[in-house]
Amino acid sequence: MNFAKLAARNVYRNSRRSVVTIAAMAFACAMMIVFSALMEGVIAGSERNVVAMNTGDIQIHQQDYRDDPDIYKMITSSAELSNAIRQIGFVASERLFAFGLMASDNSSSGVQLRGVDLSYESTVTEIHQHIMQGTWLEQTDPHGVVIGKKLARLLDVSLGDELIFVGQTADGYMANDSFNVRGILKSVAAGIDNSAVLMSNSMLRELISLPEQGAHQIVIMRVDKKQALSQASELIKSLVGQDLEVMNWRQLMPVISRFLETAHVQTLIMLLFTYIAVASIVLNAMLMSVFERIHEFGIMKAIGVRPLQIVSLVYAETIIQTLLASIVGLFLGTALAWYLQLYGLDMTSLADGMSFAGVALDPIWYAELSINSVLTPIAFLFVMSAIAVIYPATKVARLSPLEAIHHQ
Amino acid sequence: MNLNTLAWRNLWRHKRRTLITASSIAFGVLLAVTFTGAGDYFYTRMIDAGANMGMGHITLAAPDFNRAPSSKKVLKDTDSLLAQVEQIPEVKDVMARIQGQAMFASAHKSIGGMFFGVDPEQENPESNLFIKAMIEGGMPKSASDKTIVLGVDLARKLKLTMGKKVVYTTTDINGDIVSAIARVGGLFQTGSNEIDSAVALLPIQSVQQVLGYQQNEVSVLAVILHDQRHSHQLRDRMQAMSQFSHIEVLNWQQTQPDLAGMIAVDKSSNYISQLLIALLVAAGILNTMLMSVLERKREFGVMMALGMSPRNLFLLVMLESFWLAVLGLIIGTIVTIPWYLFMSQTGIDLSAAYGDGFSFGGVLLDTVFKIRLFKESIIAILVGLFTLALCAGAYPAWRAGQTPPVESLKTI
Repeated sequence: MNFAKLAARNVYRNSRRSVVTIAAMAFACAMMIVFSALMEGVIAGSERNVVAMNTGDIQIHQQDYRDDPDIYKMITSSAELSNAIRQIGFVASERLFAFGLMASDNSSSGVQLRGVDLSYESTVTEIHQHIMQGTWLEQTDPHGVVIGKKLARLLDVSLGDELIFVGQTADGYMANDSFNVRGILKSVAAGIDNSAVLMSNSMLRELISLPEQGAHQIVIMRVDKKQALSQASELIKSLVGQDLEVMNWRQLMPVISRFLETAHVQTLIMLLFTYIAVASIVLNAMLMSVFERIHEFGIMKAIGVRPLQIVSLVYAETIIQTLLASIVGLFLGTALAWYLQLYGLDMTSLADGMSFAGVALDPIWYAELSINSVLTPIAFLFVMSAIAVIYPATKVARLSPLEAIHHQ
Repeated sequence: MNLNTLAWRNLWRHKRRTLITASSIAFGVLLAVTFTGAGDYFYTRMIDAGANMGMGHITLAAPDFNRAPSSKKVLKDTDSLLAQVEQIPEVKDVMARIQGQAMFASAHKSIGGMFFGVDPEQENPESNLFIKAMIEGGMPKSASDKTIVLGVDLARKLKLTMGKKVVYTTTDINGDIVSAIARVGGLFQTGSNEIDSAVALLPIQSVQQVLGYQQNEVSVLAVILHDQRHSHQLRDRMQAMSQFSHIEVLNWQQTQPDLAGMIAVDKSSNYISQLLIALLVAAGILNTMLMSVLERKREFGVMMALGMSPRNLFLLVMLESFWLAVLGLIIGTIVTIPWYLFMSQTGIDLSAAYGDGFSFGGVLLDTVFKIRLFKESIIAILVGLFTLALCAGAYPAWRAGQTPPVESLKTI
């Protein structure tokens, strides 16, 4: 009789106990698959909100522009540079920034004007699809602007309302013009939500009399997402001069980057806690099953079964149960996570808005199934149950056959 | 023999099994205390910090101010309102403030942000985060000073140092654009770039002059409570009072929806995690009790034959679950107390992992992980634990009560 068969029969012998143990393991496994898939989805979603809505993969500025955003610190030959970057297989777009006061009928607020290149911005970021009300910028409507969600609330404006801009031109005169609200963005990040006014590059140049050429920022996105971020930065760096600064988004937003990198630690901690509870169930079940069979193990030993073989038998019994549990857990967990990947977990009833480290979180959380999010919980389950049965397995392996046979 | 004694002795017939199950209950207690305690501590810190950032736990404002703030929406007759709010026992502190958006300009450039018009005499570090975070200079000397207190990042971007001039431009009570000059009298650093690069404090009387407000007119009254947990119920109570019926009474959930959202989501994921672990602990209890009942079939048969009623057998097994839970609770308490003392006093410093500039729903997050339990939470954990143990024990106990005396005596 082989071990697997013996182990399987032993598992089946007390089917009720085995079912409770397997069910508990399967339930924990399924929940952990859902949990890690959801975490992965949230991490990917936040990264997307940071990168694809705003920063892009890599940005180029004048050396100290970020410390001190001054409208005179421009990348002078930005158009040529952008073209050169596009030629080596990236997408790139130029941006201009300026500050000023935007006033509506009722209220006014300091704003950051963002001039975007209408022909390229949509190749780099997805912000043109991230509109809550109205439509994205249009070249034919230079005075139609798109504004941040909270700014719209602060100014108490809705689509079509008029806004008056007051600021300073590059040559020191008063800049003054009227605009109307063409679109209102969904939540992106605190800076954009509270104060961004988006318009075309050419409108902003005209408004504050900036030179025809040049930009404050070039935003770059990798076309091939598999290419390493640092390698892409190196490639870009080789194109630009010493006076310009090339930074990837992880350097630009270190806090968020660090948070996203450490977010999987949370998943691991959760896994550990849940599985400690599972391990105590496995330990108890195996301990009971082993102790009620002491007599039987004594006989096995007496007829020549070696201690190691007894350990293997106990392990085989555990592995069979864990295997069954992980199959059930895998199906249940993947099915639920798959559902959450398609339809998402709607948090809007709990929260209108959420933000973390200045980045807005989408109130609908989508799971993201990956090899990692499925295999980690299963691998952990095996490890934890293997640790849990060390005690019962060694206990029976060290039994003296004579005493064991007499045990009641 | 007393059923309780019998149940307690039965537990000790399988010492090892009982101890393992009790330890898993103890582990559950430890986790529940940690999770709930982290929530109780952390949410209170966040809510209090959020309240100290300008709007208070409860905010009194002119109708519609919260939906669309504007200088046109004025809260009138503030002296009498202040006096009335101070009467309420839950209130720790109340301050009149003017909140608005402005553009701040130095000789160098201009940047948009928000300002709070504050009365230095009313303000104190206990209920104003910015005073606590002051790194240079201080609050304006009087309410009519021409000074301004800026966040460090805002000052750095404007290239301003102490004593330099700033022009702030905003909209007045009539909707006209107005400007005024102030000198930098203080700099604060909260640690969150979002706040430090956007907020300025101004003396309230100078702001009233600039905006065209009367002495008695501001935009909000910020109310700080002794205990943030009263904010919801107190808001409803105040809104119903006749003296506040003409204005809007808001709680922090309404003035800081981002923070409220983050907390609500974090809270629910916290509860779900706890529920998950509780279910697993319950499964452990169920398995242990079920096995112990099934292996005592014969014994139960004998007891029934001797005249014990099924009801008493059911009770016996339920008592075993109960005493198991008590045992788990005792072990749990022994393990949890040193952990709780350490975590509530020292805590774990996470700043190495996260740095120190982290915001949560727009409020600066603590990087020291600490726990603190409310009395209510301790009761909730205890009730949860015993409910769980008794629910998990119910099926095995029911099985025990179903033992048919004759057949079970035949089995060995």
